[in-house]
Amino acid sequence: MQPDPMTNNEPHQTAKKVLCIEDEHFIGELYKRSLDKSGYDTTIEVDGVKGLELAQSDQYDIILLDLMVPNLTGIEILRTLRDPVKTPHLKAKIIIITNLEQREDIKQDIEKQADGYIVKAEMTPKELVEFLDNIA
Amino acid sequence: MNYLSKTERQYFRVLLPSFIASSAIAIIALLLLKELGLKPDFYYLATAGVVLIVSLIITILVNGMLISPLRHLWKLIISMTPHSNSQPPPIESLKIGRELVANLTAQLYQLTSSISAQKPGAETNSLNDNFVANKLPLPLFVLDATETIVYANSVASDYIGIATENLVGKNFYMVMDMSFPSENTLDNWLKEVKANTATASMSWERVRLNVLDNHPTRLFDLAAFYNKDNPNKYETMIVLFDHTKQYSQDDQAVSFVALSVHELRTPLTMLRGYIEALEEELKDSDNPELLNFMQNMRATSQQLTAFVNNILNVARVDNDQLQLSLHEENWGDIVMSAVNAISVRAKVRGITLETNIEPDLPTVGVDRLSIYEVINNLIDNAIKYSNDAKIIKVDAHLTKDNLVETTVQDFGLGISESIMPNLFTKFYRDHRNRSQIGGTGLGLYLSKAIVTAHGGNIWVRSALGQGSTFGFTLLPYAQLAEEIKNSDNKEIVRGAHGWIKNHSLYRR
Repeated sequence: MQPDPMTNNEPHQTAKKVLCIEDEHFIGELYKRSLDKSGYDTTIEVDGVKGLELAQSDQYDIILLDLMVPNLTGIEILRTLRDPVKTPHLKAKIIIITNLEQREDIKQDIEKQADGYIVKAEMTPKELVEFLDNIA
Repeated sequence: MNYLSKTERQYFRVLLPSFIASSAIAIIALLLLKELGLKPDFYYLATAGVVLIVSLIITILVNGMLISPLRHLWKLIISMTPHSNSQPPPIESLKIGRELVANLTAQLYQLTSSISAQKPGAETNSLNDNFVANKLPLPLFVLDATETIVYANSVASDYIGIATENLVGKNFYMVMDMSFPSENTLDNWLKEVKANTATASMSWERVRLNVLDNHPTRLFDLAAFYNKDNPNKYETMIVLFDHTKQYSQDDQAVSFVALSVHELRTPLTMLRGYIEALEEELKDSDNPELLNFMQNMRATSQQLTAFVNNILNVARVDNDQLQLSLHEENWGDIVMSAVNAISVRAKVRGITLETNIEPDLPTVGVDRLSIYEVINNLIDNAIKYSNDAKIIKVDAHLTKDNLVETTVQDFGLGISESIMPNLFTKFYRDHRNRSQIGGTGLGLYLSKAIVTAHGGNIWVRSALGQGSTFGFTLLPYAQLAEEIKNSDNKEIVRGAHGWIKNHSLYRR
């Protein structure tokens, strides 16, 4: 048996800050628990407009962005964050989290602007941590 | 199996009187000899014995010749009327049935064509006026060496909604845009037989006709008979057996289930998330019952997830929507991680998974989630069909052709040879244990579509009562890297298709 990489819970040297813009309470709760346990510092935001404001404050290392959030869609948030006029500087990596079945061309278009694309139903919180450990 | 014993009864009903009749003739011959004043000494008794044995042999031979075609015909009748018979005939006789029909039709067609061609004044329209073929209740097409339609009966014309006069003279593939469930298409088969054989017959199940305009899609079985260099230029006979209603019902069922289970995905992932969290919290617990419950919960939720994914991906494959992105991966890691995940499920059944992964395997180009599903399906089947066997072997190695091959071997029920060709067909399930072992009949169909999209092959080897080995090959990443170099994309995207276009005319 090989060692399971997912049980590696050692805290990161400096806690990476994660902003999770997600309106489904259960998912936010599970993600926060797993990420914080693995040494991340996670903030959950359920509202699209507030989420964008937080993202533009440029204090995060990773932004998990759901495509369906109230008041502003994930696509609009992504466009604004990638617009050099509206968001002059952004150090965070943007990971799209969704359950929407996208047409392949739309998906590729979103993927081009984002740093990662996750289908929520295909990843448990543990696997999400593993994924972020690998890209961070 | 009821009908087989019935056949045997019929056999004896014919054989016994024949034998009695032959014996009676032998005895009468013996009596005649005696009547003629010849003493039945040893020589005559021996002669009578030989006559008796010869008559017995002749009886068996003649009856065999008589009974065998009758049995084929009888099976054929059963296979053509599947709804009127509660006990479905075994698939192998279905095949015999369809090919036999194509074969008989071909003989009949040629016979009647040559007769009508000899009639005075018939040469003008003999092709379209074949009385017998027009009476055949099945769509029939006759093609020449260039796949041009030389004859189509009125049933065929009605079936595809094109008038006979618009069919004759056209290329068959232009008229019939067909998709097959595997690479073994009519076109490929014809190419092969044209190169190698004089006569051959073949049949296919679940062929789809993509009809233009407002005609509904047709689903049918297809049988073909090929006769090289036929003097009348009729090389290929094609007969269709419509099953649109039955097959489309199955497909609609999958679409409907897919629509429903789609909504299960998120709650299910959350449930798995909470189980993970709970397991973490309980990992230091010393209550073995609690730990056992957790293990079972994880195994069950994984099984449910695998089921949901299978259904969704089958629906995607059917609609040509399953896209795979191939990335460079360490194959050993993927196999180990899949085995680790499913080992809980095996453990619940008391089965141990033994892995043997060759060191230094080259990296492979795979879509992680999809190929994971293939390993999962194969191991899941191995668990289901293990019966009392307690070991399943998972092995990954490099083949002589430099392909990465993975095998899953169980020591359980095994599969009879007759059903092996159908294993990877959609909805196919072994009728022997359908009621005892759960399943959808979709796992292997999907696995095949996924492996094929990766450029690999999937195969099975099995012996009844000794277990089965399923295996598949994958290309080393280095081979795919060449492909990436020559394209603009950073990654390779492949589509997994359930349907293979019959002819390049229609391939995208």
